Amino acid sequence: MTRPARGVVLAVLAPLLAGAVLGVILQAADPRIRLYLAASPSLVAIAAGLLGTAAVAIVVLARRRAMSAAAVAAAAASAAAIRQVAEEAARDRLRFFMRLDHELKNPLTAIRAGLANIEQGGGMALASAGTVAALASVSVQADRIARLVSDLRKLADLETQQIEMAPVDVTGLLDEVAEAVAEIPAARERIIRVTVPRAPWPLPPVEGDRDLLFIAVQNLVANAVKFSAPGDTVEVRASEDSDELLLEVADTGAGIPADEIGQVWQELARGRAARSLPGTGIGLALVRVIVVRHGGQVAIRSRDGQGTVVGIRLPVPDRARIAPDVATLRQGRDTPGMAAV
Amino acid sequence: MGGPDVRPVVILADDDEAITSNLAPFLDRAGFTVHVAADGNAALELVERLDPDGCVLDVLMPGPDGREVLRRLRRGGRWLPVVLLTQVGESAERAIALDEGADDYLNKPFDPYELLARLRAVLRRARPGRRPLSASPTLRAGDLRMDRISRRAWLRDAELVLTPKAMLLLDYLLTHPDELMTRERLLEVLWGFDFPVGTRAVDNRIAELRRALGDDPARPEWIATVPGQGYRFVARVDDAR
Repeated sequence: MTRPARGVVLAVLAPLLAGAVLGVILQAADPRIRLYLAASPSLVAIAAGLLGTAAVAIVVLARRRAMSAAAVAAAAASAAAIRQVAEEAARDRLRFFMRLDHELKNPLTAIRAGLANIEQGGGMALASAGTVAALASVSVQADRIARLVSDLRKLADLETQQIEMAPVDVTGLLDEVAEAVAEIPAARERIIRVTVPRAPWPLPPVEGDRDLLFIAVQNLVANAVKFSAPGDTVEVRASEDSDELLLEVADTGAGIPADEIGQVWQELARGRAARSLPGTGIGLALVRVIVVRHGGQVAIRSRDGQGTVVGIRLPVPDRARIAPDVATLRQGRDTPGMAAV
Repeated sequence: MGGPDVRPVVILADDDEAITSNLAPFLDRAGFTVHVAADGNAALELVERLDPDGCVLDVLMPGPDGREVLRRLRRGGRWLPVVLLTQVGESAERAIALDEGADDYLNKPFDPYELLARLRAVLRRARPGRRPLSASPTLRAGDLRMDRISRRAWLRDAELVLTPKAMLLLDYLLTHPDELMTRERLLEVLWGFDFPVGTRAVDNRIAELRRALGDDPARPEWIATVPGQGYRFVARVDDAR
């Protein structure tokens, strides 16, 4: 094999290997995590690796001028096969969540009813302080499992349920998020800034479900508050970027260690810093699912000890966009200083 | 229901013994006479034999499932209040539960006190011998009319233009009049699950309904705000015909 050819093979296979390795790592991870995730994320990782392989393969192949039509067809066919594998893995994960949800529901209902029985039967009045404390603890833990189950269910639901599409005014949405976040007690000790462009024109509306988009942005801002300290700054920024709308939530908080950032979008992923804080580790996975269902993308950048910025890109429908020639005309008409009025 | 010292008779149908053995004594202490059925046929047989005041049906049961039991009861002209214990939170599932004439439903795993509250509410609302609002295809409240099958509503002669979620909310309010609806409960009605935040989503839909109905929150004709708690549909609701 010639040197360049070996390089090509390596480039093509690297993502697959990386995916497989990530899959194996996930599989061998903490048994508590494995209990909930089972084999599915490893499948997803392998599938992602396969997809990466396909992407690289297509790029490499496309660069080779002498590529035959047959090779193009083969690449397309294998890409389709790989996509099918990825979709099947996603469906597997969904089915697993639903089964888990289903299997845990009855025992949880019974536990809650049992606790209510003890409480209602007056048993608590006679019980020792230790028994009362133990029962209270069981009750809290049952609620915690119920919350976890319902959170996973939520994710599975959001991946499949039909999304009500309507124009959403992002400026109003962000104002509302800021109001909602201000109700979190810790928010009073943060400097929260919302920056929304109003000139030369306001943000275009996006298409989507307002409630879901609210939940996505609210989750990010609440996270920023949660993982920062009094005196830290949280910025919510919106901007228009050709055919996309970019929403960013940035904080000067604790940041995410480099070895944890790859997992933040996964279900139940909780960083070391989050262990002492309440939560089920579903927030960012929820954000990801909501944004992807709206045809958008998510990205996260962080420096340990300096802070984090999460970006959401959402497509702006054609009809909501202002054509560039109109923009040029408007700029020409405006006299300096007028735009600020 | 009779006087205050008459214990309402309720059928509790669920095939999971862990649930019935815990829920039955709970409901019993709360003032109900509970009869347990382990499957759909037993539930139908108990209803036939005891003519109970109400029924709690699990959706997943051997034999005729909860939904089928409900259909058979309604087909046979039995209008007793029924609370369905549903398994999934999908909106289709919820819409079906109400379409089939369940008076209310709860998603497992539920808080037993919530079941108690729902059960008491449906029994209070029960109209003995008459079809419950939740099993009526058309409803009327003053000048407001709703066709629940086609999910369309009219105020006087003008059709209301509502988002699907607002229509679902209106349907739930109309079939549960004069009942305090917490934001959390309405959120569950709209979404099938509770979000840790975002009860504003409910406020927004209520605002949409009020706009469509021309309702003044300060002097509500339809939807009253219960400060710090939620909402209440205050107009009198009846079958349209």
